[in-house]
Amino acid sequence: MTMPDRGKIRGDLLHILTHLRDDWEYSGEISEDTGLFRDLNFESIDAVALGSAIEDHYNQSLPFAEFLMKANQRQAQDITVGELVTFVAENVKSQGGSP
Amino acid sequence: MSPRVVLFGLDGATYTVLDDLVHRGVMPFLGEFMERSARRTLRSTIPPLTPPAWTTVVTGRSPGAHGVFNFLQFEGEDSPYLRIISSRSICTETIWSIVARHGLRAGSLNFVAHHPAPKIDGYVIPGWVPWRWVKQHSHPAELVDRLKGALPGFDVKELAMNFKEEEKAVAGSRLEDYEPWIDLHIRRERQWFEVMRYQMLHDPCELVGIVFDGVDKLQHLVWQFLDPKTSSGKQTPEFRRIQEKCWKYFSQIDDFLRETVNLVGSDGHVIIVSDHGFTGTTEVVYINTFLEQQGYLKWLPTAELELPESRELGEAHPYHLTHFDMPHTRAFASSASSNGIHIPIDGARGMSGVSRAGYTALQDEISDALLTQCADPETGDPLVTYVWKREDVFAGPHVNLAPSLTLALRDCGFFSVLRSDCIVRSRPVVMGCHHPDGVFLAHGPAVRPGVAEHPLALVDVAPTVLHLLSVPIPSEFEGRIPRDVLSDSWTAKAHELNPVAVRELAQPTESESIDVGEDKEGEAQILMRLRALGYIE
Repeated sequence: MTMPDRGKIRGDLLHILTHLRDDWEYSGEISEDTGLFRDLNFESIDAVALGSAIEDHYNQSLPFAEFLMKANQRQAQDITVGELVTFVAENVKSQGGSP
Repeated sequence: MSPRVVLFGLDGATYTVLDDLVHRGVMPFLGEFMERSARRTLRSTIPPLTPPAWTTVVTGRSPGAHGVFNFLQFEGEDSPYLRIISSRSICTETIWSIVARHGLRAGSLNFVAHHPAPKIDGYVIPGWVPWRWVKQHSHPAELVDRLKGALPGFDVKELAMNFKEEEKAVAGSRLEDYEPWIDLHIRRERQWFEVMRYQMLHDPCELVGIVFDGVDKLQHLVWQFLDPKTSSGKQTPEFRRIQEKCWKYFSQIDDFLRETVNLVGSDGHVIIVSDHGFTGTTEVVYINTFLEQQGYLKWLPTAELELPESRELGEAHPYHLTHFDMPHTRAFASSASSNGIHIPIDGARGMSGVSRAGYTALQDEISDALLTQCADPETGDPLVTYVWKREDVFAGPHVNLAPSLTLALRDCGFFSVLRSDCIVRSRPVVMGCHHPDGVFLAHGPAVRPGVAEHPLALVDVAPTVLHLLSVPIPSEFEGRIPRDVLSDSWTAKAHELNPVAVRELAQPTESESIDVGEDKEGEAQILMRLRALGYIE
């Protein structure tokens, strides 16, 4: 059991998003500054599905509803990949799932 | 190898409509299928709702055990935040993995709460997933790409539940919006069937399950065109045209069924199952407004009154707790489709609320108020016909995720959670809504054809499927193999294989026998607002 560090989580999330972008008609580079809604053209349901994909990757539940609700409450215009990485790094426990 | 069992799911199918379509000649093969099938009413969960109901079908467990109560539910035992369910929400084993433990393969198509796909021996394309995520959330990982290469016309955007497109489709109010919307579902069902057929031919599994959810979608919006009470007699040309488009949808389902039975062959079984039935709803009950009037709820000033022109949208919009003045709220409904009222306990989920010691008394008090005070202001008739306390109707480790109270309304409708200036309004036109009585039609060599009046329960489906695959029934299953559905030779085999899991005669339980309301025949009007779907949750 190892606790993934921020760099590992960043790599994991970029892998998940990059793996998908061919189907998403998005050809730009994905980085920590990429906005889920502004750049990747997410709808809110896509953000929920991304949360499920990350949970599946780390094989554990994460408080995504709280994360999304708080972003909504502070009237955030977007969620960046970097913010998502920070959220996962703060909440993921010792990794029991797939690397 | 042909599948030995195909679970042919028709979301929301009801004999009210299917029998009429058989009678009209729209579904001729279904008529033949019925004659050769064991036919039962299939009693749904409380409330009759897609996520808990389909999850019960595929787990053989009730919601308190499997943990799925609604599309949206609290993120965890202690969280005040609501989230959309996923495969992680299902806390018990499914029939897909159970058969795998016994060396069989399974294919699962379009079931709710199956994303990300469980890694079973077989394949899974989950339902209720936005199109961008279908590939990522399917199993095996290469499945969608393989289908793209193999199936001409395969379009993941049409296959998936495109929430934006669904919303657009239901946002119109013009008659001409209906037909493109029905066409969308005709094409979408075709996509799912083509996938099933391809997989049956090229990646055979002993168990295949598929859900055609357009049945539910159509019935919500176009109930007046399908309900025999309102769809017969002299109608306008526009009405006839839309009705015939609905029939085209069901005629295609009939073709799918015929081809499925042919693919399965004479040695296999096809079981048609619906998660719940359907009926008409004629009114909207604003339950949070009732709770406000009774002094149990206080809105925040930011919670706007529902606009008259959007009055039916109430079913679609879940209220997050940010709309309630929680320090002054002792009961609230957060999403429509569960017909559930939550009573917050002080300190639990980070909320203020009633003390633990006072919880049961408040539950009783609000239940009594709902049954005696929540009434039609014109007639005085009760709007709520039954109230279930969660401790009485649910059992298992996840009971605390259930609402404190679950209601049945007099017209079987879902209540609205929006803020309103009244507690009930008539709908402009009759709409479709869920009814507890769904359909069960089993066909194959082990089946004893015939009709019986006593209903089966959703928990009976999984043990029946496993038994037809000669797989032992897990001891924790809550249903039984309905003995009178099976031929004598299979019944003997059932006794041998599963000696404690064979039911002599299904008897409705007390909760199953409750009269939850009468079908209400509403005034049919052509120009209805499609916004009333109330299902994008």
